[in-house]
Amino acid sequence: MLAFVTFALIVLFFTVLVLIGKTNELSEDIAGKGMNYDAKSKWNGYMLLGFVIAFFISIVYQVKLLAPIMIPKSASYHGEKTDNLFYVTLFFMTIVFILTQFALFYFAYRYNQSKNKKAYFYSHNNKLEVIWTVIPAIVLAVLVVMGMRVWFQIFDVESRDKNALVVEVTAKQFQWMARYPGADGKFGHRILDTAHITPTNELGIDWTDPNSHDDFWSDKLVFIKGKPVLVKLGALDVIHSFYLPHFRVKMDCVPGIPTQFYFTPKYTTEEMRDYLKTLPWWNTINPETGEPRWKTFKYELACTEICGRSHYGMQKEVVVVKDQAEYDEWMKKQSPIYVAPKAEGTATDSTAAPATAATDSTSKETAKTGKPVAELVKK
Amino acid sequence: MSAHTTTTADVHGHVDTDHIHGHDHHHEPTWMETYIFSTDHKTIAKQFLITGMFWGIVGGLLSVLFRLQLGWPNDTFPFLETFLGKWAEGGKISNEFYLAMVTMHGTILVFFVLTGGLSGTFANLLIPYQIGARDMASGFINMLSYWFFFAASIVLFTSFFVQTGPASGGWTAYPPLNGMRDIAINKGSGLGFDLWALAMTFFIISSLLGGLNYVATILNLRTKGMGMMKLPLTIWAFMFTAILGILSFPALLAGVALLEFDRLLGTSFYLNMIVVNGHLLDYRGGSPILFQHLFWFLGHPEVYIIILPAMGIVSEVLSVHSRKPIFGYRAMVVSIMAIVVISFLVWAHHMFVTGLNPNLAAVFVLFTLLIAVPSAIKVFNWIGTIWKGSIRLTVPMLFAIGFVSMFISGGLTGLMLGNSPIDIQLHDTYFVVAHFHIVMGVAAFFGMFAGVYHWFPRFYGRFMNDTLGYIHFYVTLIGGYAIFFPMHFMTGLPRRYYTFANFETFNNFNFLTQFISVAAIVVFLAQLIFVVNFFYSIFKGRKVDVERTEGEHTYGNPWEGTTLEWTAPIERIHGNWAGEIPSVYRWPYDYSVNDKPYISQNTPLAPGEVEHT
Ligand code: HEM
Ligand SMILES: [Cu+2]
Ligand SMILES: [Cu+2]
Repeated sequence: MLAFVTFALIVLFFTVLVLIGKTNELSEDIAGKGMNYDAKSKWNGYMLLGFVIAFFISIVYQVKLLAPIMIPKSASYHGEKTDNLFYVTLFFMTIVFILTQFALFYFAYRYNQSKNKKAYFYSHNNKLEVIWTVIPAIVLAVLVVMGMRVWFQIFDVESRDKNALVVEVTAKQFQWMARYPGADGKFGHRILDTAHITPTNELGIDWTDPNSHDDFWSDKLVFIKGKPVLVKLGALDVIHSFYLPHFRVKMDCVPGIPTQFYFTPKYTTEEMRDYLKTLPWWNTINPETGEPRWKTFKYELACTEICGRSHYGMQKEVVVVKDQAEYDEWMKKQSPIYVAPKAEGTATDSTAAPATAATDSTSKETAKTGKPVAELVKK
Repeated sequence: MSAHTTTTADVHGHVDTDHIHGHDHHHEPTWMETYIFSTDHKTIAKQFLITGMFWGIVGGLLSVLFRLQLGWPNDTFPFLETFLGKWAEGGKISNEFYLAMVTMHGTILVFFVLTGGLSGTFANLLIPYQIGARDMASGFINMLSYWFFFAASIVLFTSFFVQTGPASGGWTAYPPLNGMRDIAINKGSGLGFDLWALAMTFFIISSLLGGLNYVATILNLRTKGMGMMKLPLTIWAFMFTAILGILSFPALLAGVALLEFDRLLGTSFYLNMIVVNGHLLDYRGGSPILFQHLFWFLGHPEVYIIILPAMGIVSEVLSVHSRKPIFGYRAMVVSIMAIVVISFLVWAHHMFVTGLNPNLAAVFVLFTLLIAVPSAIKVFNWIGTIWKGSIRLTVPMLFAIGFVSMFISGGLTGLMLGNSPIDIQLHDTYFVVAHFHIVMGVAAFFGMFAGVYHWFPRFYGRFMNDTLGYIHFYVTLIGGYAIFFPMHFMTGLPRRYYTFANFETFNNFNFLTQFISVAAIVVFLAQLIFVVNFFYSIFKGRKVDVERTEGEHTYGNPWEGTTLEWTAPIERIHGNWAGEIPSVYRWPYDYSVNDKPYISQNTPLAPGEVEHT
């Protein structure tokens, strides 16, 4: 019944519109102005002029309303440079945007038929055309040069710190497995064959390699302020993408092809909260938690390559601690993946240790979307 | 039907006897031949247009449905269960179906509406009319092109009704998500994806057949006097669009074929060391990235395949309704060529963070920003065109102006995306969604609408209703910006997310996603006004004024345009012109010159007049 009424209303709405349209057309024809666009050009001229003004005002309003909500300043060093490039580009863009949009709509208003009866036959102007080819070309060249300098800094393998903190992150549907090398700073080897890759050891970690014995899974990504991080990335099943929005880090995790990203965190989680505390929007109360927003701020890891139904659920918390001491403290509390075999058998048994990731981010999904975890996790 | 009408004084040239006398001794075409298996370019154009409109509505409806989920992630909509059944149990769209809808929305809009619908309609309608040809080089191949498109449409539509649902791994179809026929990994990667691949195969064949025909026709069938530099910009655009398609679509066809080999025959073109549930699968040695190269080798040219015809249409419409020649005709032609060449060299800007070699990325950054130069030239020239015009703000003119506005707004953000260090943050976020919907989605639609309102009289001898057209325009302009402009501020929010509720970081824009959803619904409804106007006007629209009658044909030039399509009878007749095909003496943009409002291309130069070059 409701559906029928809605349908009837929609039909009625369109019928009325058509009737109005037809009536206007008929009255124009009766007045003999069928194809005369004088009057129409006049009011549409005002509409277009009004539009461009309203458009500009709305953009200012959007900036005021939305900019404070955006992901805050970069928490990594290279991110400051990419943000800076963003703003430099934005600067040039804004100039071009305002000039061209305004000219477009203003000319449409100023030279509409009711104001300008006779068009000016003007077919080209080589000088002008050269100018507006060369100027953009120069600006773009500048942007390319600036961009490439930053780009090659980010990916300059030679200059990287050999003592960087190395973390191995492997993605699978729909979770992140973060492996830390433990106190020795070395990862146990992985052997990628069917003998080693098993449901309890999805990475194929070689337990005969002593380096593997203190490797541990972490439910969070923990980095150290000011200490470079090299994230080694991989994926098991489909492509995922490792994305740390606050650090301006993004790199795809591709099955069968290792990738990596190297960056240095600049602010600890605490420092970022302190900074946000100074911003008005972050002091407003989050209705979900009942607390000021800066208090619950945290760095997060997300997936940015469509990877299946729970793509949106691949969350992991990221924490930046203030120094090595705090990191070591935290590391001590983690338990290794490797479990020494109980029997007198040697550690050569590749199935000795359970290597399933300790955490399952999909549980988050449950709380918020009301789906049983089991359903989401089971294939 | 008498074919022996006298020719008007300004119509000279060779006589196409085959067509002129054809009707006397050929059999009368049957109903089937006239309306269904027609080889007439005008009918085929309408077939593409109507099919495109159907897909436009389907694609738009999908977006309304997934916008419901995005705007109100915590609410249920019981009517959805009525329509979608198991895909929306309890009135809540499932996360699987959400992705299926996003995937199909992209596929439908990019390929079936803005490529098939847009090029198919206007290339078919305008190429023969504007170059002065009786029809396409091969009417039969042209007909095949439509019917392959139709077959593609049927297959794609069918895929909505299979058990595991339509393809759901994104319109870009990346493996391994789409590369293994395993519905445990992704439901849409079952039969749904095979149908997607089949539909795309038919679509590509359709597009190639059409494209070859367009190029052949433009190069060979121009009427007497129609040198290349006398072609309207529409024709230049259609020709280069076709060339772009001919050279790039085969890469996608190959890419999809290999994907199906992986899926059906167990090859490993794109797969390597896949581990599912702790089991290492047997695939060895392939590369998922290879597919991305093949896909984007088409994918980037594809976006220009969409926008170039719209640019051509807009150039024409701006000039006619400003009563002024297009500004910098040669520069416009050269920039189309430049865009075509460069658009083959930028594809990896979609792949900056795939682990691509950073040195390689640098090359792609360079070419990507380079392509902005010809794009900028076109924008400046359009603005130059309306400057000091005597602009008739008709509905098609408004849409053309709207196109330029959208193209500017969306094109500028391309400069950020194209600079790889900035793209690290922006890639696969709402910023990209904003960019391409404005520059391609809305802009191409505006170009298409400009074309439909402008050439409706050529199609049907009537106008579309102005009042409804104006409403349609303003709602779409304001609504289009209301939907996509705020998305720039959602920079950093990943796209293709079913909900943002799991993230502290992304969860602050709820009011905005709701606002966008409301705007999307309003804009969708406004498109229905267009559809109603279209079908209503076919039967009841205002008729084109008849300026003169010759024999049984009437002639009129509704917008006072110079191009040849307006020299043909208002009635759409087989072979287009009743008498001889007009010859061409001048370029297509003689507006407001020599104290005349316009001079048709088939008007010989006046004594002492210098030809415009
Ligand atoms: C003016 C110059 C332009 C530049 C520099 C540019 C640059 C880019 C870049 C770098 C991306 C990749 C963003 C990412 O995924 O991270 C992109 C995406 C895209 N662009 Fe543009 N673009 C331009 C104009 C256009 C035009 C004219 C169109 C279409 C008519 C277009 C359509 C698209 C589409 C469809 C995507 C997204 C595809 C997807 O990921 O689903 N762009 N653009
Ligand atoms: Cu993922
Ligand atoms: Cu591209």
